[in-house]
Amino acid sequence: MDDPHGNAGARTFTARRDGGGDDVGLLRRIGQGDESAMAAFYHEHGRVVLGQVLLVAGERALAEEIVQDTMLAVWRGAGSFRGQSSVRSWVIAIARRQTRDRLRARRLRVVDDAFLADQPTPGPGPEVTALDRAELAEVTSAIRELAPAHREVLGLVFGCGLSLPEVAGVLEVPVGTVKSRLTAGRTALARVLDEKGQNR
Amino acid sequence: MNAGPADTRSPHLDLEDLIAEVTGQGIDARAREHLARCEHCRAEANRWDLVADGVRGLTAATPEAAPPDRPRHAGLRAWAGPRRRTMLAASAAAALVLFGGAAYLSTAALTGHQPGAVLTAVSGCTALEQASGTLEQVNGSSMVIKTASGQPLTVTTTASTTVGVSGMLAGGLPDGTPVSVAGPRLNGTIAAVVVTIRAPFGVQMPPAFVIVRGTVSDASAAGFTVVTPGGTRVPVITSSGTVVNEFQVSLDQLPAGAAIAAVGHAGPDGTLQATIAMALLPRPSSGPQLHVQFNGTARGCSPASLAAGVLAAAFVPGG
Repeated sequence: MDDPHGNAGARTFTARRDGGGDDVGLLRRIGQGDESAMAAFYHEHGRVVLGQVLLVAGERALAEEIVQDTMLAVWRGAGSFRGQSSVRSWVIAIARRQTRDRLRARRLRVVDDAFLADQPTPGPGPEVTALDRAELAEVTSAIRELAPAHREVLGLVFGCGLSLPEVAGVLEVPVGTVKSRLTAGRTALARVLDEKGQNR
Repeated sequence: MNAGPADTRSPHLDLEDLIAEVTGQGIDARAREHLARCEHCRAEANRWDLVADGVRGLTAATPEAAPPDRPRHAGLRAWAGPRRRTMLAASAAAALVLFGGAAYLSTAALTGHQPGAVLTAVSGCTALEQASGTLEQVNGSSMVIKTASGQPLTVTTTASTTVGVSGMLAGGLPDGTPVSVAGPRLNGTIAAVVVTIRAPFGVQMPPAFVIVRGTVSDASAAGFTVVTPGGTRVPVITSSGTVVNEFQVSLDQLPAGAAIAAVGHAGPDGTLQATIAMALLPRPSSGPQLHVQFNGTARGCSPASLAAGVLAAAFVPGG
């Protein structure tokens, strides 16, 4: 098949982040008090972290505060990074803890993780029809209506680009639970789409 | 994948494979082969792809947090300044919905370019710098471009830098390529004006255009069929005026000598740390001008000024 750009292989480029070797170096410099490294770290991760936090918290001002707290935690705790996870999943995990603390402090009820984890993994059912018929704009809108835990797992996988094991590490659950939660999230999404379709 | 010699479970791809496929993490040959021949798994992958696009659409539209007037924490004070700059730079990335319109940049729109300068400030946004030139060489995650003044400039990238290629459609697209096609409807087909592959940002198209997204099938010299996530097959006609914008390419896939436009912030030793780097290959000489729409604004850096800056950086040799 012809390549429109004469650069065969471009379309095999993976969107996934690499191992973050530079990120580890940045953290080391941050740990030594290097301000430019902190700026670079924010440049590298700030937008993704904000996107994920906003997806879960659903409130812009709150999300911004959480990101600030997260970056402050990075500034203070960079030296504690042990390389047992990717830097991206490490900072996302920090942001997640900050988000949970804030939501608890505000007494906002979030979907209970255990409840979600216990949900059976449904196979393709009638709800896939709603997904098959949906347009992207409808899906984007429907995602906003999902429960926070569903938005969270979808955001970690598709927004932050974490692998399922990395997501499991961030959520502190087994990979199997991540899979269940992903499937439950998609099912919930399809139901929202279905409801919207019936109300049209 | 579940299908192994002693495997009595579902013969279909498991969720991990489907997610890996959708997120571009790659699947093994056996899984890929199964995906190619299994309609059920392709439909599942398409559904997950739609979900992924929905999430990406939400997160990509997230503008950067506005810098606080004063740090809320003493610990932030030390890096409040640099952070402001990086946030502005990142806002430019969020704002680059004009990438889809890059194919339509005309020399008339590029009046802001300043011959002789290596890095020029984006008008109205002192945090951002822009540069353009021709690609000389690629060294890992950086590249050297030769600017209009003849000076070399090193443009560095990170994993979050958006790198793309825009050019004319020179041939068919491989089956299975995820695309978004935009163009006018023509007798039950779409006359493709823009074909976008893996766009990181949304693009506002002219009202007369219809947009269909899905995967390429049955490609030929005259066009191809887009198979939507719902399985609908939409015929697409291509022509010499069809432009392809492909994103998420790596630097070493940019052709030497290509016109490069980059925007980012000034790095050490006169380098440019790119938020965006775009290779602009020869393109149709005319086409509709797309409306440039920004997803967010940054303090002291208006959407209009950012647009002008990026447009100024994107020169098109030879039109």
